[in-house]
Amino acid sequence: MRMGCAVMALALLLGAVPAVAQTRTITGTVTDAGTGQPLEGARVSVRGTALSTTTGAGGRFTLGNVPDGNIVVSIRRIGSNFADLPLPAGQNELRAVLTRDPLRLSDVVVTGQATGVERRNLANAVATVSGEEVARVSAQTVEQALQGKVVGASIQANSGAPGGGMQMRMRGVTSINGSSEPLYVVDGVVVSNVAIPSNQNAVTKSTQGSNPSLTQDNQVNRIADLNPNDIENIEVLKGASASAIYGSRASNGVVIITTRRGRSGERQVNATQRIGFSKISNTLGSRTFNTLADAIAAWGPSAANFYQQGVTFDHERELAGRTPVSSESVVDVSGGDADTRYFASGLWKHDGGIIDNTGYGKQGVRANLDQDFGKRVNLSIQTDATKSLAQRGLTNNDNASVSFWMVFPFTPNFVDLRRKPDGSFPANPFVISNPLQTAALMKNDEKVLRSILSGRLTFNAIERQAYNLKFVVNGGADQFSQENSLLFPPELQFEPIDDGEPGTALLSNSNNVNLNLGTNGVFTFAPLSGVFTATTSVGVNGSSRDLRISRIVSRNLVGGLGIVGAGTDVRVLEQRQRVENFGLFAQEEFLTLSERLLLTAGINADRSSANSDTKKYFYYPKLSGSFRFPQPFSWMTEAKIRAAYGQSGNEPLFGQKFTPLSAIENIAGLPGLVVPVQGTVGSKNLHPERQREFEAGTDLALAGGRAGVELTFFQKNISDLLLQRTLAPSSGFGFENFNGGKLRTRGTEIGVNLVPIQSSESEWAFRTSFSSTRSKILELPVPTFSGLGFGTALGSFQFEEGASATQIVGNDSLPNGSVVVRKIGDANPDFVMSFVNNLRFRRLRLYGLLDWQHGSSIINLTKFLYDLGQNTADYADPITYGTLQTTKGANRLRLFPKQTAVYVEDGSFLKLRELTLSFEVPQTMVSRFGRGIRTADLSFSGRNLWTHTNYTGMDPEVSNFGNQPIGRNIDVAPFPPSRSYWFSVSLGF
Amino acid sequence: MKASRIIGAIATLLFVSACKDLIVPDYNNTSIDDLTSSPTPTKITQAAQGLLVGTRVGIGEQNGYVSLLGILGRESYNFDPADPRFITEMLIGPLDGGSPAFGGNLFAAPYRNIRNANLLLGAVDKVVGLSASQKSAVQGFAKTIQALDFLNVINTRDDLGAPLDVNIGPTDDPAPIVSKAAIFTAISTLLDDGLTALNAGGTAFPFALSPGFSSFATPAEFTKFNRALKARVEAYRGNYGAVLTALSGSFLDTNAPITLGAYHSYSTGSGDTPNALFDPTGRAILAHPSIVTDAEKKPDGTLDARALAKVTKLPDVHTVQGISTDLVFTIYNSNTAPIPIIRNEELILLRAEARYFTSDVAGALTDINLIRTTSGGLAPRGPFTSSADFVTELLKQRRYSLLFEGGHRWIDTRRFGLLSTLPKALPTHNIFSRFPFPEAECLARVPAPTQGCT
Repeated sequence: MRMGCAVMALALLLGAVPAVAQTRTITGTVTDAGTGQPLEGARVSVRGTALSTTTGAGGRFTLGNVPDGNIVVSIRRIGSNFADLPLPAGQNELRAVLTRDPLRLSDVVVTGQATGVERRNLANAVATVSGEEVARVSAQTVEQALQGKVVGASIQANSGAPGGGMQMRMRGVTSINGSSEPLYVVDGVVVSNVAIPSNQNAVTKSTQGSNPSLTQDNQVNRIADLNPNDIENIEVLKGASASAIYGSRASNGVVIITTRRGRSGERQVNATQRIGFSKISNTLGSRTFNTLADAIAAWGPSAANFYQQGVTFDHERELAGRTPVSSESVVDVSGGDADTRYFASGLWKHDGGIIDNTGYGKQGVRANLDQDFGKRVNLSIQTDATKSLAQRGLTNNDNASVSFWMVFPFTPNFVDLRRKPDGSFPANPFVISNPLQTAALMKNDEKVLRSILSGRLTFNAIERQAYNLKFVVNGGADQFSQENSLLFPPELQFEPIDDGEPGTALLSNSNNVNLNLGTNGVFTFAPLSGVFTATTSVGVNGSSRDLRISRIVSRNLVGGLGIVGAGTDVRVLEQRQRVENFGLFAQEEFLTLSERLLLTAGINADRSSANSDTKKYFYYPKLSGSFRFPQPFSWMTEAKIRAAYGQSGNEPLFGQKFTPLSAIENIAGLPGLVVPVQGTVGSKNLHPERQREFEAGTDLALAGGRAGVELTFFQKNISDLLLQRTLAPSSGFGFENFNGGKLRTRGTEIGVNLVPIQSSESEWAFRTSFSSTRSKILELPVPTFSGLGFGTALGSFQFEEGASATQIVGNDSLPNGSVVVRKIGDANPDFVMSFVNNLRFRRLRLYGLLDWQHGSSIINLTKFLYDLGQNTADYADPITYGTLQTTKGANRLRLFPKQTAVYVEDGSFLKLRELTLSFEVPQTMVSRFGRGIRTADLSFSGRNLWTHTNYTGMDPEVSNFGNQPIGRNIDVAPFPPSRSYWFSVSLGF
Repeated sequence: MKASRIIGAIATLLFVSACKDLIVPDYNNTSIDDLTSSPTPTKITQAAQGLLVGTRVGIGEQNGYVSLLGILGRESYNFDPADPRFITEMLIGPLDGGSPAFGGNLFAAPYRNIRNANLLLGAVDKVVGLSASQKSAVQGFAKTIQALDFLNVINTRDDLGAPLDVNIGPTDDPAPIVSKAAIFTAISTLLDDGLTALNAGGTAFPFALSPGFSSFATPAEFTKFNRALKARVEAYRGNYGAVLTALSGSFLDTNAPITLGAYHSYSTGSGDTPNALFDPTGRAILAHPSIVTDAEKKPDGTLDARALAKVTKLPDVHTVQGISTDLVFTIYNSNTAPIPIIRNEELILLRAEARYFTSDVAGALTDINLIRTTSGGLAPRGPFTSSADFVTELLKQRRYSLLFEGGHRWIDTRRFGLLSTLPKALPTHNIFSRFPFPEAECLARVPAPTQGCT
């Protein structure tokens, strides 16, 4: 292998060929056809050469070294149609006018680690979301801002808790046991998206029951730290055919985030102030007992001490009925001159929570700097520092009767839990905790300090008319520390009861460092004849991820103080993970036939410390082609057919390759080496999963670019799945980690863009998207096995050869009365659609985004709990089942051991994700706002304002176990969903 | 020429980094290979102590051996509001091998410790730095603990039998399931082999024992624990002659406290395990009301001292799914309270049983009355009128003496064919005689066992 790696490194060096020719310098301006305004940031290049520049202030540009003869100048700009303008020999001045481009065909989309192509030529269905689309309505996290905006991506919240905890999945199922997280790349640097549990399970004891998964802590995946307002552009590579160049971590897609940059020109300052509030959008309600006898039947004789006919309390709203003020302040300043450009921004956000002691605050500053050193060297530096505080309450599954919605099912609504005038809370006579007291006195704070630093040095080593060679070195560090500090003071009703030790304090400190360093060489060859442009890029990159978590659980707090040092029963745990990666890649892009045909081939070679063989390279090739037909018919502006194939990997998780002996246990202080609970046996040959994706489709632009259709079919075949073979428990071990099996996911994506009205007075843009995926386990070299859930009697995911990977099984009855375990649902939606309308009439704009999911089964265990408490809102509603006269709740309880399906529901929903009504203040009034103000906008907006669903839980977006490859859609006492309403003022200076 | 220099520098960087080693160790655990292929005396010490950690797993949890067998034997309830299956599965049923916390429980943990013992036994042969007698002491200890773990397995699976020859590669085809009788024979052999090894084990163990084994801290003392287990095993097999032989080598002592014995230790130290059966307010674990209603009275009219000492009344009646109780246990009065493995009181009762069935009826009555008076504060009783009378008396004394210490009532009523005498709180409730195999054990076997798998 030593020779191999050396050869690869040397292969990256490309020769440079010197050349000499006569040249001239051209200058010009670029303006918008509609408004006549100068356009900054347009890319000006000479066709058939690698010469290019960007327009600055006033839309002006200057380009040297231009050949003397007749040339064609191409002008491209995001949001405008491109123009190819002839410039005869001798004419050195150009005035270009660009028309609007609602389909964004001229956008340059990232296709390599240092290259990109225009959307019109792109061979993959890459979704792009602009910063403007991201920031239309205040969002706590980036993923929230993307919900419904990325065709083929399912983005769902795990609960309504403030501060994040959302999963983004691209193109359906990509893994069973591996990572399901896309790779997030911010300004060229892979950033961490780990989700670190708060350790609340030390109190909820969620790990001590049927399912020991630590992920029931309602944790936040850390991409939440980014400031959505800083984003210029997000590109989503949805599968291996597009993401192969990212190698063994790209199977779940790659989200490429580019932050905003300064442009040379006058200083611009924008400030936005938002103010609003959140309000709970759904509650479950509970049973009302009409008579004392009913109450006693359900709650025992002690109900008589509390029951008063007609007196009920809405515990859910007492807990989650707060509507505190939220605010968000965003300021940015940008500008620069020919050599130096800057962008700086600041964010101050505080969202109040609907439950006492919950909420989310984020503060951040960013400074992005671009500096040219002469004509050949450019340095870009991005710095981002954020601080956030998420106060998350106490929700999700527990085995201790303390999680809020684990208590309500067992608390009748005739009990008054409210704070008494003397400030104390009544004890809950039916369960060991009073959620109103718990919420008022506890804390569950997650503080994160994060800094992402990245830099990019571009060195244009050789620039000639027909070819150029540049080197790009990029690198960065993403460092964060997360502190989870939880306090359950001794005054809480449950505190002395649960373990006999009053008061619990938890402190977890996590430190994560991601380091990246990469070098790319890009050689562009465009012969003066203009027959083709060939872009050769080669690169190398290395990265490491290091995460260290230390946790302290402290009980029996002296003086009830919220410090872990105050406890008498103190436990310490530490965990560390580190993964190192190294990769090489090469890619060739070949654009020819008057930029109609684009062919791309590339290969990535990766090795990782997570594999059993850390020296072995794994190879991921890709191949794609597209062909476009300009104006094939009179009514069709442009058509493109495209096909792409690629491979990518999903590397093993840290630790999966080991066969460990636990070194953290003792008995009475005597250290004991033991096989861990559910101990794993690592395979000697553990390696990444391999995804082979083929996609094909067509993009059509109609009616002069005012209508567009994108149609894509894809098929992913994932082999060498990271599987866990469940070992016979009699072996003493739990699982063997190995590679095997095959999974297939197929899908369709359709996007339609229409601009029915476009005039200077009014505009209507409409976009809709459709996507649908199906998965099938083609081969499973292990017996059928269960995924997440609480045993098959309560519904469980189950992996079975020939079945959908997302099937839910449970007990079901055959006609002969015998009980079998079989499929009773599927978490995969039939299809997902979204509808975006953007209307402008003069100065008024109305924007709305509807998100529709059809199908997708949810295991509603919250309802099961309410039924067990005989406390479901509909529990006592009479029902005739066959010949049996019973009540709805009693009937469900009677049926579930034989028909788990009574608690598996359809999770279809239609949500109004975003709605904005904004008004652009006329120039004449703007000046009255204050001196120096250029623009002013006022808007009313809201997020998740309306939901239509037949699901009887709080919200069909739910995942008790957090982000999972498979195994969302289990509803156990989640944080309730909320609507948020905002009023915003935006000023431009 | 500056350009070419930069290119050269980049190339060198690439060349170096392309060949960099990416080995990252497991920061969080040691490795099994490390113990089995290069054992040191320290590792052997810690692996031996690990057996006491491992044999404690699954005992004192809220869904552990004591709690679940207590429910089946109608000693205890678990009203945990978060999981209704303590009732729907454990009392109504059927027991489900697919629910790891209930029907499929109490299997993986003992087998894990059987693996721990096998790893230790494999490693101790290779270690340099321990004397032959020290190695022998480790072997005797490991075999005794392994026998205890097999006993816990067969107590829950009973006539299903269990896998025996499990010292095979972890990913090999699972060991065949052998009959209950074969498991008992194997346990008996392990205990005898363990005794032999302990006898050759010198004067001290090369490792430390937990406080629960303070009376058995040397190989010689530990043989008494070994023989006590042997006596229980032989009683379960009905070899009453062998029970009496084994008891003679055990720590049975009518002059010693009845609490003398071996215990699982618990503590709140970091990395240690607390006793989760401590539940003073009855959040989840409650005592069966029949403990009070079935208790005999002392001459002064008060209840059996054991009933008084082991349970107490709560201020309110707890009612879940139609069943009620107002009793909680006071046996484990803190989260560091030890849980008995075997103790003197049981040995005396084992002797009574063995004496009766080896025709020493008078000796049996002496032993029974010793327990009645010293432990229960009850009046001595008269001679047994029949063997049924003896069994009723024996089971009653065993029930109150060994209450909520490890499923004794369930196991005893089963081995005397009296499961049907256990009370059912509701007509929908059922009495189960054994746990099924865990679903994973069934799925790993082709074909699945004919019994014990659903």
